Amino acid sequence: MTALGGTPAVALALAALGLVDSAFSGFRAYAGRDARIRKHRAVARASLRGLAVGSVLLLAPVLTACGVVLTAADRDRTYATLTEGGIGYLAPLACYASAVLLSLAAYFFLPFRASTLAVVAGLGPLTLLRPLVIAAACVGSFVRGGGVASLLVGTVAGAAVLCVEPLVHRHWYSAALRSDPTPASVPAGA
Amino acid sequence: MPHLEISDLITATDPHSGARLPVRRDEVIRRLHEAGDRRGARIVEALPADRQGVLDPAAVDRLMIDVHTELQRLSEELRIGERLVHVLGPLFDAIRATAVSAGGGTPLRLVDIGSGLGYVIRWLAAHGALGPDVELVGVDLDSALVGEAGRLARAEGLDCRFVHGNAFDLPEAATVYVSTGVLHHFRGPDLAEFFRAQAASPALAFCHFDIAATRLAPVGAWVFHRARMRHPLGRHDGVASARRAHTDETLLHAAAAPGMRPLLYEPRGLANPFCTTLRPVLGVRPELEAPLRRAMGRAARRLVGPEQLGGAPR
Repeated sequence: MTALGGTPAVALALAALGLVDSAFSGFRAYAGRDARIRKHRAVARASLRGLAVGSVLLLAPVLTACGVVLTAADRDRTYATLTEGGIGYLAPLACYASAVLLSLAAYFFLPFRASTLAVVAGLGPLTLLRPLVIAAACVGSFVRGGGVASLLVGTVAGAAVLCVEPLVHRHWYSAALRSDPTPASVPAGA
Repeated sequence: MPHLEISDLITATDPHSGARLPVRRDEVIRRLHEAGDRRGARIVEALPADRQGVLDPAAVDRLMIDVHTELQRLSEELRIGERLVHVLGPLFDAIRATAVSAGGGTPLRLVDIGSGLGYVIRWLAAHGALGPDVELVGVDLDSALVGEAGRLARAEGLDCRFVHGNAFDLPEAATVYVSTGVLHHFRGPDLAEFFRAQAASPALAFCHFDIAATRLAPVGAWVFHRARMRHPLGRHDGVASARRAHTDETLLHAAAAPGMRPLLYEPRGLANPFCTTLRPVLGVRPELEAPLRRAMGRAARRLVGPEQLGGAPR
């Protein structure tokens, strides 16, 4: 596969990862703010909110890439360079996504003891590693031959996905979900 | 240096009347400084207080509810409900099988001590996990948390109730006492006294889950709370609680109250520390041990008494 020929596949893979990450970011923005037991619909709504915000924010790297190509003296070469950078960007993200997928599968399908392992050794640390993985992707895009242009697009993309969770949280979930902000006291022995 | 939890320091309740007591912010900060906990002191410095330096009770209540709401997420991820049912299901089966439930026909009653937002009780109610003959009651000394737990239960139409007060002063006797994450709050003789109070009650058993005191626990707690909790108080107390966790030997020694057979489920030697973040210490009336082991089946091999564990208590 040539760099030019692989461009749509690379772009599609990156967009898919970005959107899936946005949906998870929406979930994380909501999680821990609602103490009800049954909340599947609320989880789905939060994920959709993350997806919506991510869809808008991910236009930023798309527009940046378009701008880089359109203003380049040699558009074909810049296009090819960005594609190489995209492949370099994708590699660390693909490894990370695979680890997350594996942990999620273990969490949902294994008994509770093994699912704890998936949370403690997988999902928890992986959440903390997310910014570092994006930094590694930026480095990967540069090292792979994407140059400064890919680094720029990758940085904008990384900033966009990292902003989804705080934006969703600030807009919808900054206060815990309570109907009554002043809890009623229940007398002793009630 | 003692490891202090801020949430223990910023609320105070009269143990007899259950009334809220004022807490001075500078006093809390002084105690944290004395414990060498500058980060904790900074967190408390940011809490609102009145002109006399007394912490704003409404703000503290909101903070406690927010932190406990975040904390519930960790319980959900670690499937605390399923962990409880794994042990409590066979325990109630054993109680039913031995027909020793006070007076026969009396409803079985599970009482959660220090229930907080009542996640465990509400989860059990929502899933009908222990059967319709088990009444579910959560008890806590913090009226704000009890109020919120009741509101949440009503909002979802759950068949359970929450009481503000002392779990050992309830008008109706508990069949089984449980708790999650409460044991490490008791230090010194208070730990044994906690178990003795249950042994002296009409209860047939207790089952208290707490953090397993492994070397990984503080590191795991840091990672987990850092990744999942937003408020610095929750992150601080999460790590402090892992550092305060009692050893297996300490728990079994303390749980050896008269009239109760102490047992520990999944002690360090028998469990992968990554998989067993919380595990229970149990106490059962002696006649219940054999039926409990039968009801647990193969899992009973993870249930050990002091004679199998050995070692000196910490």
